[in-house]
Amino acid sequence: MASVTVERSGVLGTMRAAWAAMGNFALLGIFVGLLVVFSLTVPHFATLANLSNVLQRNSIIGIVACGMLLMIILAGFDLSVGAVGAMSSVVAAALIVHVSMVAGIAAGLVLGLIVGLFNGFCIAKIGINAFVATLATQVLVTGFLFVATAAQPVYGVPEAFTFVGLGKIGPLPVPTLIFAVVAVLIWALLRFTTFGHYIYIVGGNRTAARLAGINVDRVTIATYGIGGLLAGVAGIVLLGETTIGQPASATDWPLSAIAAVVVGGVPLSGGVGRVGGAVLGTLLLGIIANALNLLGISPFWQPAVTGAVILVAVGLDSYQRRQRERR
Amino acid sequence: MLLEMRDIRKSFTAGPVLHGVDFSVEAGEIHALIGHNGAGKSTLMKTLAGNFADYSGQIVIEGRDCVLHTPAEALGQGVAIIYQDFALVPDLSVAANIALGREPKGAFPGLMPHRALRTRSAREAALLGIDLPMDTPIRRLGVAAQQLTEIVRACSQDVRILVMDEPTARLAPAERAHLFAVMRRMGRERGVGIIYISHFLDEVRDIADRVTVMRDGRVVETNAASRYTVDDLAQLLVGHTDIVLDQAPDRRVAKQKPLGPTMLELDQLAVAGRPGVTLSVAAGEIVGLAGLVGSGRTRLARAMVGDVVSEGVLRVDGRAVTRRSPQRSAAAGLVMVPEDRKISGLALAASIEANMEATALGTSLSRMGIVRRARQRQVVDGLIRSFRIHPPVREKPVGTLSGGNAQKVLLARAVAARPRAMILDQPTAGVDIGAKAELHKLIVLAAAEGAAVVLISDDLDEILGLADRVVVMTEGVAGPPIARADLDRAKLLSAISRVSQTAA
Ligand SMILES: Nc1ncnc2c1ncn2[C@@H]1O[C@H](COP(=O)(O)OP(=O)(O)OP(=O)(O)O)[C@@H](O)[C@H]1O
Ligand SMILES: [Mg+2]
Repeated sequence: MASVTVERSGVLGTMRAAWAAMGNFALLGIFVGLLVVFSLTVPHFATLANLSNVLQRNSIIGIVACGMLLMIILAGFDLSVGAVGAMSSVVAAALIVHVSMVAGIAAGLVLGLIVGLFNGFCIAKIGINAFVATLATQVLVTGFLFVATAAQPVYGVPEAFTFVGLGKIGPLPVPTLIFAVVAVLIWALLRFTTFGHYIYIVGGNRTAARLAGINVDRVTIATYGIGGLLAGVAGIVLLGETTIGQPASATDWPLSAIAAVVVGGVPLSGGVGRVGGAVLGTLLLGIIANALNLLGISPFWQPAVTGAVILVAVGLDSYQRRQRERR
Repeated sequence: MLLEMRDIRKSFTAGPVLHGVDFSVEAGEIHALIGHNGAGKSTLMKTLAGNFADYSGQIVIEGRDCVLHTPAEALGQGVAIIYQDFALVPDLSVAANIALGREPKGAFPGLMPHRALRTRSAREAALLGIDLPMDTPIRRLGVAAQQLTEIVRACSQDVRILVMDEPTARLAPAERAHLFAVMRRMGRERGVGIIYISHFLDEVRDIADRVTVMRDGRVVETNAASRYTVDDLAQLLVGHTDIVLDQAPDRRVAKQKPLGPTMLELDQLAVAGRPGVTLSVAAGEIVGLAGLVGSGRTRLARAMVGDVVSEGVLRVDGRAVTRRSPQRSAAAGLVMVPEDRKISGLALAASIEANMEATALGTSLSRMGIVRRARQRQVVDGLIRSFRIHPPVREKPVGTLSGGNAQKVLLARAVAARPRAMILDQPTAGVDIGAKAELHKLIVLAAAEGAAVVLISDDLDEILGLADRVVVMTEGVAGPPIARADLDRAKLLSAISRVSQTAA
């Protein structure tokens, strides 16, 4: 049978083969390497307070990225997560002020889930392309939000609610704990459940999945539902951080989350991807932003650096993939 | 009667494809379905497998009237199908692909028992006597292994009707024989009705109980296989009696021209630590590359055009191609027709025209980056005509062509580039016997015009009919070239199946 050998002669070949075989560990290597370099060179980087701060600041994007990961494995993505997050935090804020905390949180989450399911419905049942469908939803939701609030922030969320966004249990920020729980749940979903397996199948070859009798539409709708739900969770955490329901917030989420996932070595073509990648991608971008900050580099530089990091990380990963495929 | 299909009609936007087909299968029967490329065989079977919600007609399975509008409904009725162009998930392992859509149930509902899945798939393959690397992603396997994966998947389901759409088009003789044994066993022991589509008429005659011949979306006739000779079948299939039926046009007779200078030269070309291959092919010469599935022919071919990494030297027309890649090879005049038309071969959503000109566009069909429209039209139309591509419509997306016609587009693209050297990996897989003879002529013509041709094929008659010399590969090692005159079918077969290489 077609045997799969990776041997090669020549020093260069051996090096290339070793590099290719390293595969997923390369990203971890870069991350650890940067941690060490920053610890040695950037003042105040390697302090407990700072690292805790990095975790706190990146947990929200991490939560969104976990949902994004599922949709990217499904060979799609979701541009509406930012609008959904803003909506969830505004609605939660309004209900917390006027009704109760539980009602506010529940409404934020349920609305996120509903918009996600709606995205999934448009993509699966109507057949709208993911880019177009989620872009439209994003604009739609933002539009409604601005109309409903007259573009005014919602104030008055009680101080106690900041526990969700700014609180700590031991050295660990609460948002980070939420992020960790989400990451573990998504990991388990992908690893242990039939549904998770189906996400890989549908993302890897939609037609084959359909022909094998798998309910492709249901898998798609459910996946986008989870993505929306997690955007809702992130919206609640955001509200906990700011105590203000701000309709204009969270606009950077979609691209930041996609960036975190692809930096984590997950190709947009679908069918492959791990939670570890999304988490690592989030943290990698997070420590770089933090180091720039501590070094006093103008925040205007940050997007440029982030862009460069994305190109380098994804470039390395794609190159490795090509090398692996060419042997 | 296990299955009865009555007056089945199916149209696509471009027009009707099935014009009222009647077809039936008995339990335990092997029923061959044959017909020219584009006759509607795959469409009929896709209808049975629930691919279309808009067919008309009646499908009766074991006396029950069934409506099969989705694949899930068809599976529920015990209909399994091996699609002509596969339905596998490239990034998933062989084991997961074997279990696709029928994953084993875990201890708790919703949980995925990966280990149980792997052992079950391995067991299913072992039961059929098929050896596959269970943990390797499908993407990294050749088409033969992909085909075997599909076979294991389909045969392991709880089926009553099993459709195999050209399962042997990409298998070597040994694997074909094995598959036939499996088919007979499934028929005899489990009473499964098997529908077998193939263009190998001798195989059809040997294995089938009954044969149905289709032409242009209609059934011509159905009869016991024993009532036909191969020639009868060929004539029924093409629809007229005047076609040339020598399946292997012996080229040595037709060709008198002496061979030209060396055009393609391999000097110790080595892939993945295997011993280097040294070979030279003259202009106008066809060298056959024979061997078992997995003997390394495709890898060598891909290494030659630079699609996989290799060491050693390759020269085209005396000039070495450095830093080999498909682009640089094409620029040097070396092109390959890949074995896998779906994943690495064709842009399925793009038109016949776009696919055909893909290689030639940069050279003969454009001037300073501007496409020469008139010339391009002329070339594409000419190719459609000479390759007898059906339907002969330039704008037709390749994904809607029948399997054999898609294969012709792939070969036409290589020829259109007027290459100095061509590597053809299974160039006539899935092509009907009338068109095959045409393609053989076109390959011979390309050689006669001065191209060096390396021909990989599992079809021994094709190799014997076309090649001037034959190289037999065994486990990645290429044997010495053997002149065609020193070979016959039996000798070639034994050379291929010899497991250990006797010293060259
Ligand atoms: N999705 C589609 N859209 C439009 N036309 C199609 C589609 N699928 C098939 N056809 C057309 O239907 C006709 C029959 O195709 P089909 O695939 O059934 O042929 P076939 O008998 O299986 O041929 P082959 O031996 O080459 O596999 C062809 O003319 C083809 O172009
Ligand atoms: Mg077909």
